[in-house]
Amino acid sequence: MILGHTMRLYFKLIGIRVRAQMQYRLSFWVDLAGTGLATGVEFLTLAAVFGRFGSIGGWSLGEVAFLYGLVETAFATMDMIFSGFDPDFFSQQVRRGTFDQMLLRPVSLPLQIFASEFLLRRIGRMAQGLAVWGFSLTLTHIAWTPAKLLYLPVVTVSTVAFFGGLFVAGAALCFYTVQSIEAVNIFTYGGTYMLSYPMHIYDEWFRRFFIYIVPSALLVYYPALFFLDKPDPLGLPSFAPFLAPLAGFGTLLAAFALWWVGVRRYTSTGT
Amino acid sequence: MTPIISVTDLRKEFKVFRHHRGALGAFRNLVTREYKVVKAVDGIAFAIEPGELVGYLGPNGAGKSTTIKMLTGILVPTSGEICVSGRVPWRERRAHVARIGAVFGQRNTLWWDLPVVESLDLLRHIYRVPAERYTRNLATFRQLLALDEFLHTPVRSLSLGQLMRANLAAALLHDPDVLFLDEPTIGLDIVAKERIRQFIQRINRERGMTVILTTHDLSDVEKLCERVMMIDRGHLLFDGKLADLLRRFGGERELVVDFADEVLDAAVEGAQIVERDGPRVTYRFARDAISASELISRLSARYRLVDLSVREPEIEATVRRIYEERLLDNDGG
Ligand SMILES: Nc1ncnc2c1ncn2[C@@H]1O[C@H](COP(=O)(O)OP(=O)(O)O)[C@@H](O)[C@H]1O
Ligand SMILES: [Mg+2]
Repeated sequence: MILGHTMRLYFKLIGIRVRAQMQYRLSFWVDLAGTGLATGVEFLTLAAVFGRFGSIGGWSLGEVAFLYGLVETAFATMDMIFSGFDPDFFSQQVRRGTFDQMLLRPVSLPLQIFASEFLLRRIGRMAQGLAVWGFSLTLTHIAWTPAKLLYLPVVTVSTVAFFGGLFVAGAALCFYTVQSIEAVNIFTYGGTYMLSYPMHIYDEWFRRFFIYIVPSALLVYYPALFFLDKPDPLGLPSFAPFLAPLAGFGTLLAAFALWWVGVRRYTSTGT
Repeated sequence: MTPIISVTDLRKEFKVFRHHRGALGAFRNLVTREYKVVKAVDGIAFAIEPGELVGYLGPNGAGKSTTIKMLTGILVPTSGEICVSGRVPWRERRAHVARIGAVFGQRNTLWWDLPVVESLDLLRHIYRVPAERYTRNLATFRQLLALDEFLHTPVRSLSLGQLMRANLAAALLHDPDVLFLDEPTIGLDIVAKERIRQFIQRINRERGMTVILTTHDLSDVEKLCERVMMIDRGHLLFDGKLADLLRRFGGERELVVDFADEVLDAAVEGAQIVERDGPRVTYRFARDAISASELISRLSARYRLVDLSVREPEIEATVRRIYEERLLDNDGG
């Protein structure tokens, strides 16, 4: 009943955002096509590199496309759902006093922020990601098993949660300083780029950083090893491919904890 | 009656960090974190009964908005207690804000992209106002605030006066127990101000709504509030009837007179000449020494007057005077 009311309110509010975006119909379609194209060009560049070397670190084009498509799709989905937490957008909300208005409404704060923006045009990038991913399937001939079929959506959702965590953590920093947002952007946007390459071509320290500090290797790289039946060059325990949900939702939860600390700071400093 | 709002020894301190410019400055900002403490609200206490309409008066930077933000639950006090309808605002944010209404002057709660009426309808869902009560309230506010002329206009195209009227309606749709208004008339022209004042007065009288209204404009308070609290630099300087405030600290008013001809002996008992500029003479007079009408009739009995105007004391000046003379310390406010 309460949940139903909350969800209805959420859809009502994002409905407003989407309708507002559609008022500028042309700009909407140009944007949609633009983001889609950018991703496409990025991928073609990658494919050209493969055309030259055949493989990177023992990974074929199809296998890399699998990683790339998954990451792109997950990121674009996250970018759409978490638009309200996008540090660029959220910091503006805080600066303009919109966040004060949210504090004055008898609705949960995260819900209000999720509902404050919804960039439908991210569908362009999502479609591109899915296309690359579909393309990878024609090249790699994955031996699908029921476990793999079940695990694939779990990995995707976990990756969405992980990226969402980065946005939420970035939004938490908005309560502190404006400059720090740029640092987060490098992290988030740079992160998608990195995740889409096979992990082990990076240096040892870098790999450790990604496995232990930013658990993104657990999110895509290890699950990919499982889907593609590749051996683990790093020799982690055999359950490593299945830590994705833990890493993804763990990151998101930790980010929200940080965000609430930021809210508490805001309500005590007013800035 | 038990008070609907009670505030005890309320304090709010802000740390204001020193900012250094440039690349080296950015580094210093990170390392040193020099700051000074601003005591925006510095030990305030009061109680408000249900149905009161209280003016919270003070010059810019006095701490009015900070107080309202604490009462509405946006800010957490540094120390002290607030209880509104039995709740601590920041501890039970959602329950608290469901029972209050708040309008901040020159701020907007409505959705920019939506027509006013759709914005109000969304708030109905947010506050879960029963349909029948919503219809009744909307009909009332449409009439009292003359919303019809812009009900279907997108919020982004409203004038400031219309925006404030729409926001007032928005703040009241859910029949709150208390209405907080932070400078609701700031930036408005006289007609728009007057309309908003009349509305505030009516919902207070007819609905028995408790209203707290901050302003730096003495005329808001004069027209609306029997009780006034005056604040400056975080301190409550006065809490009582407006008439008492003016009688005791109202300072001296000024009368500017344009005589038909230059007059040599313009002196009047009870008033002091502070400026002469040809046929224009400025008198200053205390409220209890002589009334404005008495002064005017004495002058017009002797000379032909072309024009005159009465200047009320500037609120800033009055407040500074109270503050500097520490009048509060003598009579306990
Ligand atoms: N978020 C904040 N951070 C630092 N100082 C603040 C903040 N908000 C208000 N102040 C300071 O506190 C004092 C009171 O401000 P405010 O309550 O806005 O006054 P008023 O509403 O009466 O004009 C001012 O000196 C103001 O600069
Ligand atoms: Mg203010």
